[in-house]
Amino acid sequence: MRRSLSVKAGLTLWTAAVIVFLFTPIVFLVVSSFNDFTSIFRFTRFSGKWWGRMLDNEPMKDAVVTSLEVAVISTAISLVLGTLAGVALARRPGRWTTAFVGLILLILVTPEIVDGAGQLSWFVWLGGPFREGILPIVLVHTVFSSAVVTLIVRARVAGLDANLEEAAADLFATPTRAFFQITLPLVMPAVLAGGLLSFTLSLDNVVATSFVSPAGHTTFPNYVFGLQGGTIRPEVAAMATVVIGMTLLAVVGVILALRRGGQSGSEIAAGLTAH
Amino acid sequence: MRAPLFLLAIPSTLWYLFLFVVPVVLVVVYSFGTKVPGSPGDIDLDSPGLDRYREVFEGSFNTVLRQTMRTSIVGTVLCLVVGLPVAYFLAFKLSPRAKALVLTLLMIPFFTNYLLRTLAWEIVLQPRGFVSNLLQDEHWFTFGRQLRDTPIQILGTRAAVQIAIVYNYLPLMIFPIWVALDRVEPHLVEASKDLGAGRLRTLLQVTLPLAAPGIVAGLVLVFVPLSGDYVTAALLGGTKGNMLGAEVANQYFSAQNPPAGSAIAVSLILSILAVVAAFALCVWLLRRLLWLNRRVRPALRQAAQP
Repeated sequence: MRRSLSVKAGLTLWTAAVIVFLFTPIVFLVVSSFNDFTSIFRFTRFSGKWWGRMLDNEPMKDAVVTSLEVAVISTAISLVLGTLAGVALARRPGRWTTAFVGLILLILVTPEIVDGAGQLSWFVWLGGPFREGILPIVLVHTVFSSAVVTLIVRARVAGLDANLEEAAADLFATPTRAFFQITLPLVMPAVLAGGLLSFTLSLDNVVATSFVSPAGHTTFPNYVFGLQGGTIRPEVAAMATVVIGMTLLAVVGVILALRRGGQSGSEIAAGLTAH
Repeated sequence: MRAPLFLLAIPSTLWYLFLFVVPVVLVVVYSFGTKVPGSPGDIDLDSPGLDRYREVFEGSFNTVLRQTMRTSIVGTVLCLVVGLPVAYFLAFKLSPRAKALVLTLLMIPFFTNYLLRTLAWEIVLQPRGFVSNLLQDEHWFTFGRQLRDTPIQILGTRAAVQIAIVYNYLPLMIFPIWVALDRVEPHLVEASKDLGAGRLRTLLQVTLPLAAPGIVAGLVLVFVPLSGDYVTAALLGGTKGNMLGAEVANQYFSAQNPPAGSAIAVSLILSILAVVAAFALCVWLLRRLLWLNRRVRPALRQAAQP
């Protein structure tokens, strides 16, 4: 019994240490936004002045706006594609399912540098709208996000009783109507979770975005990446804090949405890691 | 009623063909081409050949490939060592409520932008930063006194890269292992103990083999994207952190030579596949050996029955 207790104490300490390890840099980033000095890399004394100057930095503001636009549009597209494919996968399994799931897994494991390089070459070849504005960035973000949404929605639909849709059909609902009035409301928690995930994945992307971004359009992380090697002012850390705060809300939102949908933590993580 | 649902996957299929399959095929095709001299990256495909690959292998490729694979393999193993106890703790030692809390805590950093997280490590590891000062001024460690006046250089070393890599990829290891452990039937563990196996033996012969698919998934989920990552290494490792991904980006952006970049990208994918294949072979051999060593060899399906 005593040994069992010491094992548990050891594991508890280990996990606590890992959580401290995971949060330490984030805390430092947030604290560095309250630095008085002009660089985040040397802390002199506390000051809130950079928070006030955050909105005066036009290029950074543009980058954040671009990030949000790209995240919203790519999330909307990913949700439509992913929900449709997820329902189809769960309800009409067949030989094509294996091929389709294989393609999705391939998308999830292909190093981003490879898709990014290929997408750049393809967009250069296509030209026109594919090299202008935020369209190329949006398109690139939808590929990975919609694959993730597909897997989450599929897991949810597979857990639903197919008789509900059959009953709707018996009651003379057209397939479209059955989809919108029966299937869709039931998979809503998964759609919501997938949406919030797509949003954070889009905000997270750096490598593929850096390949396809047209001149004059950049996202916030890529703006920060571009600052490397020079001075990074605390206003960047302040904006980063705001972005991290939004991510935090999204994560809590995902978990609450899935919990309301009756999925256990294990299923949530299974969905997230494409099991 | 049957046909329409099948059609729902068609938009996605077309989307992936257009935005994933064609680009990846283009990378392969371009790697056989030649850059039009003096152009901003135009490609000549009139006389396709393996010249780019030859140039790549004659250059610094081998050194960088070795560095990339070492960084990735060490990073993956460290993630397993750090993550496995956490996954085990999550699966077996917590009430559902505490589990949800710890899970949320693990997810939050994972979904925080990884560039911002890497930037945060830059702050922590500065020569006059927190870790360095802790080791020097605060006398927290006995050797602190000696190091007092020399700032400790952690940034720009391999250690910095490995720390940040474990940091960035750890949750990808913890989640799949935890999912697999969570599905292990408690009865099987109890049965093992009833049959006289000790804790360690139960862990090694019952629990971990049952969680093996999750461990394999975690290893692959960490290793594959990690080998293609170069941002973490570029920011924290300086020249010590040169990864193949950076070479690809350099060829595309600085050298404006997409064929050379494509050849490196294809070589990178082949190297990743080779490592994964070698790993799969080792796993297969290990299982085979364990199987041959067993005195009793029940069919697996029978063993799983209560």
